[in-house]
Amino acid sequence: MIEKLLNIDRRIIFIFVFLGVAIPLLMEFHFPIKPTAAVRSVHEMFEAAANTEDGGVVLFSWDYGPGSEPELQPMALSLLRHCFRRNIKVVAICLWPDAPGLAEEALTTVAAEYGKEVGVDYAFMGYKPGFTSVLINMGQDFKSTFPKDRWGTAVEDLPLTKGISSLKDFDAVMVLAAGATPEMWIAYGQEKFKFPLGAGCTAVMAPDLFPFLQSKQLTGLIGGLAGAAEYETLVSHPGTATVGMRPQSVTHLVLILFIFLGNLMFFLSRRASRTPGTA
Amino acid sequence: MIFLRRTGPLILAFVVGVLGISVYYVPHEASQNLEKELALWLRIVYAFSFFLGLVSLLNLHWSRIRQRLAGWGYSLVVYVSFGIMFLFVIYNDGAGPFAPQADAGGYQWMFLNVVVPCGATMFSLLAFFIASAAYRTFRARSPEAAILLVAAVIVMLGRVPIGAFISDLLPTAAQWLMAVPNLAAKRGILLGVSLGVIATSLRIIFGIERAYLGGGEE
Repeated sequence: MIEKLLNIDRRIIFIFVFLGVAIPLLMEFHFPIKPTAAVRSVHEMFEAAANTEDGGVVLFSWDYGPGSEPELQPMALSLLRHCFRRNIKVVAICLWPDAPGLAEEALTTVAAEYGKEVGVDYAFMGYKPGFTSVLINMGQDFKSTFPKDRWGTAVEDLPLTKGISSLKDFDAVMVLAAGATPEMWIAYGQEKFKFPLGAGCTAVMAPDLFPFLQSKQLTGLIGGLAGAAEYETLVSHPGTATVGMRPQSVTHLVLILFIFLGNLMFFLSRRASRTPGTA
Repeated sequence: MIFLRRTGPLILAFVVGVLGISVYYVPHEASQNLEKELALWLRIVYAFSFFLGLVSLLNLHWSRIRQRLAGWGYSLVVYVSFGIMFLFVIYNDGAGPFAPQADAGGYQWMFLNVVVPCGATMFSLLAFFIASAAYRTFRARSPEAAILLVAAVIVMLGRVPIGAFISDLLPTAAQWLMAVPNLAAKRGILLGVSLGVIATSLRIIFGIERAYLGGGEE
């Protein structure tokens, strides 16, 4: 029996994980979501931008692809809702080649919700290859780095980007990343041009970014779907991240129960093998 | 020939390496202009690397199809998928290849309805495999493994709302684990990696490390 449980068919585990995801999605129940200090700091960063004289202009860097969409897209939607609700102007760029479709979808969806106009309230510059070199160029001359927006309009002709010449002109920068771009933004952007920098990343990446949070090179950090749910709570607009907390909570519990069961069987089998006349 | 194969690249690596470091720290206008120019060159090299990647990918899959290697059908899928997306990009919803990509049309539809769900599904499947792997390998075989196990359980519960529902102490403990022991370890690793990168860069700049020249021993 112990051996059977120790070598349990993985398909049984898969079924439990599936049920742990499916049942909470079908049922309606809620857990209290308490925003952490790191997530609150991102919210405060945008509030500070909103309270500037001109209403604030922030830069969003979309640096993730479809694989991280479930975790990072709800984050992007919440952040944009916060910006547009507080009349903060948004300029968006992509440093990942598969990000433009996701960025455009988020921008147009939330802009439509708040009746925001492209070129006036928000601008989307599209994708440029080169990671760090794009950051260096943007820091020195934003307009030559992105001479046209995604739809081919010259940045000089866009009311929003007319007055922007460098990264220094942004009241805050928010990086939504599934890779190492937040670290690049710190080394080649924040450290050189001294702007408030926030990061939103996948859950597995968050521990890597904690040192930058403590050194204040990152103003705030939103980690994974849980972080996205916390931001949705802060902007009082529950979305897919808040809904996702139900299956995520239950699946974590299922996983812990399996780990507990695995260890219990491990110790029982070890004791059985040490006891003469058994096993 | 030896100049073109060895001395020239070594001089080039030294000059560009020293310039690359200097322009980051020197705020003079000439230095900043040079940095801007170097970054622009780098972006052009990056853009060309896409073509290189594409040629390499198509070559690899073509040889798999030609040799009928195991799973060659998947290579065919790569070609078909690439072909369809390429045609949609060229057609650009009737606007042609030189206009900015259209908001609607086949390319956008394929991206939002095929690429995004497939990418998200692939990533989501990890949950199942992590669960299975955790059951089999996450065992308290030693005191160190037991500490790791307890820390993992606290973080897993403390990072989701059910943790706070069970006890207010769980999110606090998870936060402490992330902000103190995790931070100390990450910072140590980060410093070690950074020092290693600096050392390797200096070795390349000063011509001590020459593996990038290729060709093996002369």
